Amino acid sequence: MSTVATHRGVAIAARVAETIDGVFATIDGWRDLVERRLAEGLALTADAIDPVVESFAMPALAADTLITGSGFVAAPGVLTDAEWHLAWWLRGAGGPTRLATIDDPSDEQFRDYTALEWWRVPVRSGVRHLTGPYVDYVCTDDYTVTITTPVRVGEAIVGIVGADALVDRLERELLPVLRAGSRDTALVNASGRVVTATDAGREPGSILRLDGLSEALAATREVRSSQEAPADPSRAEEPATGGVVTLPGGAAVVTCGDTSLSLVIQ
Amino acid sequence: MPHATGRVDAARAVVFAPLDGAGRAELVEQRLTDAIVSGVLRDGERLPSESELSRSLGVALVTAREALEGMRDKGLVRTRRGRDGGSFVTFDRDSAGRMLEARLGEHSRIELRDLALHVGAIAGTAAEVAAGRSSDDDLESLRTIAEHADLTTAGGARRAVSRFQLEVAAISQSPRLVREEIRLQAEAGPLLWLCLREQEYRERSAHAREQVIAAIRDVRPETAREATITHITSAFEWLVHERLELDAAGRDEASRTPEDGSA
Repeated sequence: MSTVATHRGVAIAARVAETIDGVFATIDGWRDLVERRLAEGLALTADAIDPVVESFAMPALAADTLITGSGFVAAPGVLTDAEWHLAWWLRGAGGPTRLATIDDPSDEQFRDYTALEWWRVPVRSGVRHLTGPYVDYVCTDDYTVTITTPVRVGEAIVGIVGADALVDRLERELLPVLRAGSRDTALVNASGRVVTATDAGREPGSILRLDGLSEALAATREVRSSQEAPADPSRAEEPATGGVVTLPGGAAVVTCGDTSLSLVIQ
Repeated sequence: MPHATGRVDAARAVVFAPLDGAGRAELVEQRLTDAIVSGVLRDGERLPSESELSRSLGVALVTAREALEGMRDKGLVRTRRGRDGGSFVTFDRDSAGRMLEARLGEHSRIELRDLALHVGAIAGTAAEVAAGRSSDDDLESLRTIAEHADLTTAGGARRAVSRFQLEVAAISQSPRLVREEIRLQAEAGPLLWLCLREQEYRERSAHAREQVIAAIRDVRPETAREATITHITSAFEWLVHERLELDAAGRDEASRTPEDGSA
């Protein structure tokens, strides 16, 4: 009985990964573009990189896609003309606008972004990461996820590129996929936060608290980074879907490729 | 992006969030005046241009211009022409203090009570929900805000209160609570947190943050709510006390005026 559920869970996990793959592929394309231009000799300066970022961010935000924010954030000290640098564009009512940032560390409003999840996790693991969902109170007041992936010159990470996406748009595409299973299924992020769930009692945004869940999610994260990170900087094309962990209470946790999301099937 | 991204300062974002309803110049003027007087916008700081203001506040260009003119007349901003030109904040502690007292004088005790209830309902519920929905990263960003709070000035203490409450609202995962928190902070924050002019209240606010963080960490929603509302109530009680003093001072003044023939 549990074998059947697990089997279905793996298939559903693969379909969740596929659904998000469109956004991932877009971000990978941006990363490839920035890496290629840098390899061709583009200067490691904000002045040189910003137009390249703008060239992919503007069309992505103008088109009717899931994406509501897009940009590049530099590793501190890597750019010769800016110690700290963010080049991020946001969808706005009057067209895309550039996010105004404080890049001067002596300014009281400055904050070190290297401690934050959307920077810290992908830079440490070497692979893309999905942060959120969270309420984006600075820009849209909407419920958002942010996906970020490292940009390299040779072996060294020089920054990240990424995108913001609306959760309700994502949910519209993901919930039918989850419903294909016969059991109560929740899609959670690496912190155990529910992105969407078939059970009406499991609200998006709540933290799923089950015995052993946070340990199981932490374990899937370690597997991801040891499998895919330093060994192959060109990144595995095929996400390793299907690590299944059974919790003490009987629920199965299935990783969804390298989305950093997991299914919890009860 | 986000909460917890650190890409933009939240206390500032509140100041330039869209205005409700008809975009009247007085509303713009009040919002910016409050921000200057309470120290969210600093002396010498350059304000966004008229067109930037009209866009971010969602008002007509002429309205933004009118508001800036009004503030110029009050001596709150100074305009410089030329390449490095623009409108700059000019802050004078004494006149700022008088302005806030005048603002306090406009509100009755009943209005102040109502305001504190409303602010407490939103912030208290946000804290309660956040206690069930906080991840380790969320807790960490609350701790960062608490550690970086500048308690040496009223403005610094105000910014810390503003950022912390906004972050708690964001952790509740409710876009509506976040929007309402932003709206209330812009409308009433500077008035409600007048008590932060006193060191004792700055320390109380730091203590309240520690209590809320501990309650969220231990997943104790009721305690998180209670600590939040107790903090807001103490700010309100300070205001009422101050309001009564102002009243008393006003009556003394009146009774000393010979032209005033009332009994």
